[in-house]
This record gives sequence, C-alpha cells and structure tokens, in this order.
Amino acid sequence: MALRSSESKTLFMFVVGLLSWLVPGAGHFVLMERKRSIIIFVTVCLTFCIGLYIGSIGVVNLFGTAPWYVVGAQIMNSPMVLVLGRLNTAGAYHVYGWPNEIGQIYTSTAGLLNFLCIVNAVYLSHLRGTQTARG
Amino acid sequence: MLNVMFVMATFIEPEIFGPSPRSMLWLLPLVAAIAVIYKATKLPVIKAGNFIKESAILFASIIAFIVVAALTLHALAWLITG
Repeated sequence: MALRSSESKTLFMFVVGLLSWLVPGAGHFVLMERKRSIIIFVTVCLTFCIGLYIGSIGVVNLFGTAPWYVVGAQIMNSPMVLVLGRLNTAGAYHVYGWPNEIGQIYTSTAGLLNFLCIVNAVYLSHLRGTQTARG
Repeated sequence: MLNVMFVMATFIEPEIFGPSPRSMLWLLPLVAAIAVIYKATKLPVIKAGNFIKESAILFASIIAFIVVAALTLHALAWLITG
C-alpha cells in the first residue's frame, strides 16, 4: 500500500513537471496556485516573444549553428519551440549580430526561468504529497 | 487585419540595431522578468500589493548592482589606461 502511494506520488510529480514544461504555469495551475500560474505564463511567454520580436524566429536555430546550451535553454520554454525550430531548419530566417545575440539571450532566459518554475512546481507537488501522507 | 499582419511580420524580420549605449536598455525588460518569476516562485502567498513591492525591490537591487559593477569596471579601465 505504501509502495503504491509512493508510486502515485512520483507519477503525480512527473505529471506536474511535464505539464509545467508543456505550458508554462500549468503545473502550478494543477496545484491550485492560480495567481502564480497566470504570472508565470504571462511572464515566460512575454519574455520569449520579446526575444522573437528582437531577433525574429531565426533566433530559434535548434538544428543549426546555435550552441548546445542555447538550444537546451530554449527547449525548456515548451515543446512548441521544436515546431519553431523545424520552421527554421533550412535557415529560412536569417539573423546576425546584435539582434541575434539579444534575441537568443531573451529566449534562453525565458527557458531557464520556466525551468525554475518546473522545479518549483515539482517541489510544491512533493510537499503537498508529504503533507497529505502525514495527514 | 493590416495591423495584425504588420505585427506578425515583425516576428520574421529582426530589429535593426547595433551595440550602442541605447541598446543596453534591452536589459530592463529581462531584469523585470527575472524579478517577477523569482518572486512568483519564492513568496509563500501572492497578494498584488506585496508581490509588486517585492518584485520592484528586487528589480531595483539588480539594476543598482549592475550600475555599481559598471562604474567600478569603468573606473578600473580609466585607472589602467590613464
């Protein structure tokens, strides 16, 4: 019984983490932290969109010359970034110099901020599970 | 409709600017985003007034630290290069 409870807790934490990655703030939304989830969703999306506005969707160059750490950080925004990356596979959108760097900094930072939120949502779900188990 | 098309077009063409002192202002929205997300994950209870106050204090602290670091580096550069 304890094993089943532990398994369901781990599964719940995994689902919360996955939801947080799929849609920024969704993990907190599931945990009934509505205000937090709205703030996270708006801020992460806005930061990512500012990055796209500055450097165009060419800054999401997942299969090109972008360094691995930029690609990794950008993917943490959402799987939707992969769709943008596919659009830019053949180098359809060229961007160089300062706008490229600022755009990459914005989109990468948005991803890292979402990663922070994913970790926070998983930790909150772990705390809730522990509190429920203790009564 | 034309306005929507114009907004969409801005996302497929990069802005045109170079490394100028004015372009450093792009730092501000990024710092604001970092301050807001950090406080959204750290505050135990989200209340509008308190959340805005805490985020503004963190935003100002980060900017103040950057300004102090920039002035220190500028003074060092001035001392070394004469």
